[in-house]
Amino acid sequence: MKHKPSYWQEFTKGILKENPVLVALLGMCPVLGVTAFVVNGVGMGLAAAAVLIASNLVVSLLRNLIPPQVRIPCFIVVIATFVTIIEMVLEAFLPVLYEALGVFVPLIVVNCVILGRAEAFASKNKPLRAVLDGVGSGIGFTLALLLLSLVREIIGQGTILGPDPETVIHLFGADFEPMILFAQPAGAFIALGLLLAVVNSVYKRFNIK
Amino acid sequence: MREILKLSITLAVVGLVSAALLSGVNNVTAPIIAERQESEYREALERYFPDFERFESQQIDNDYFDLIFDSSDRLVGVMATVGQQGYDGTIWYNLAFDGEGKIVGVRIISHTETPGIGDIIATAEFQEQFIGKSFADPLIPGEDVDIVTGATISTAAVITSIRRVVNVVAENFLGYETLVIDLSALPDGIYQGSAPGMVGLITVEVEVAGGRITRIDVLDHSETPTYFIESYPLIPELIIAGQSFDIDTKTGATLSAKGIVDAVQAALAANVGGE
Repeated sequence: MKHKPSYWQEFTKGILKENPVLVALLGMCPVLGVTAFVVNGVGMGLAAAAVLIASNLVVSLLRNLIPPQVRIPCFIVVIATFVTIIEMVLEAFLPVLYEALGVFVPLIVVNCVILGRAEAFASKNKPLRAVLDGVGSGIGFTLALLLLSLVREIIGQGTILGPDPETVIHLFGADFEPMILFAQPAGAFIALGLLLAVVNSVYKRFNIK
Repeated sequence: MREILKLSITLAVVGLVSAALLSGVNNVTAPIIAERQESEYREALERYFPDFERFESQQIDNDYFDLIFDSSDRLVGVMATVGQQGYDGTIWYNLAFDGEGKIVGVRIISHTETPGIGDIIATAEFQEQFIGKSFADPLIPGEDVDIVTGATISTAAVITSIRRVVNVVAENFLGYETLVIDLSALPDGIYQGSAPGMVGLITVEVEVAGGRITRIDVLDHSETPTYFIESYPLIPELIIAGQSFDIDTKTGATLSAKGIVDAVQAALAANVGGE
């Protein structure tokens, strides 16, 4: 019989070993779309993580009730419900974050990290494991967005904590000419490629597999 | 049969539970959201109109207007709420006018334009160019306001709708009369005039003989050709046939069609009473 991984392993695997972005290359749309600013990247990561944890839990609870033929539409409805709830809650209680993320929030529905975890993990495991997996993958996803948006905001804008004029810090003084390319979608691909190269060599070096 | 039933019932139950949950959450959040939008609107009113005391609401076509009165019941401005089709979905925004029809504020309420491209309409840099403009200004891209390359559709949508609303406000609330052209008073001759279409200026040549418009040619335009053929030569033909500017411009290219009508009026207006 196959040995079941410990709860701790269930939690940590999504952060580094099976990081949804840096290793599995899932959910590229928000990864490339919202990472021009750190605030947006982290906000998106946390919103997606919240949906991921909630949908993992519900999918795991329903795993024996849903017939396999209709599991994908059911998962999508579960995910879409949580996304819509989060969107409404954000708009009502955190208008600032809603304004920054606004158009990207509905995109969480089609974030394949979430459907991927629901299909590959939550639908086959008990609720506790599913939640731990969701928390781990959510942290991993947020971490990847944080890394990429740091690189892109520093190089592409020359700022940190932008674009809100109240919190923005200009890192290099007024004469700095930012490399606009990195603020653009094409630059997101380039930055992601470079980031993956760095991450891969670090993984190799420290033997993370 | 039994299998199909089981599948459908599962889907129906999942859908129902989801709908119930969502309407529950919406019941809680919708009033909070509405209240915040209301108070933001109030704040905007007070910011743009320091003398603001009360307002009256009106609707003209699809635009909403709040007439702003001060404590002595004098009309001090108009706040317009405009919904305009952008590149992707409707752009909702407020336009604040002072008592002379000058724009004192632009405020985007909501939009779903492409992030990083069309959302430039929500930036102060883009909006500031409209401050101080009025119905007396051309509001033409490239002339006194700028469209943004890469976001042409989003920015042109805002500019053309502002141009429309500016005139609606001036004519309906501030007592600036619409142009009345008496054709019979016009001397025979060939007149030229220009007016903005969808993209740029449309310049027309109008021939008047015996108090009637006999010929309308478009000399120059920069409209999208595939759209422009919808309104040219159709619109000139309609004007000549009816000897009237009151024609249906709702073609596939409404803004171009309206541009032609405006250009013809501009050509003749310059000569009304100029004998």
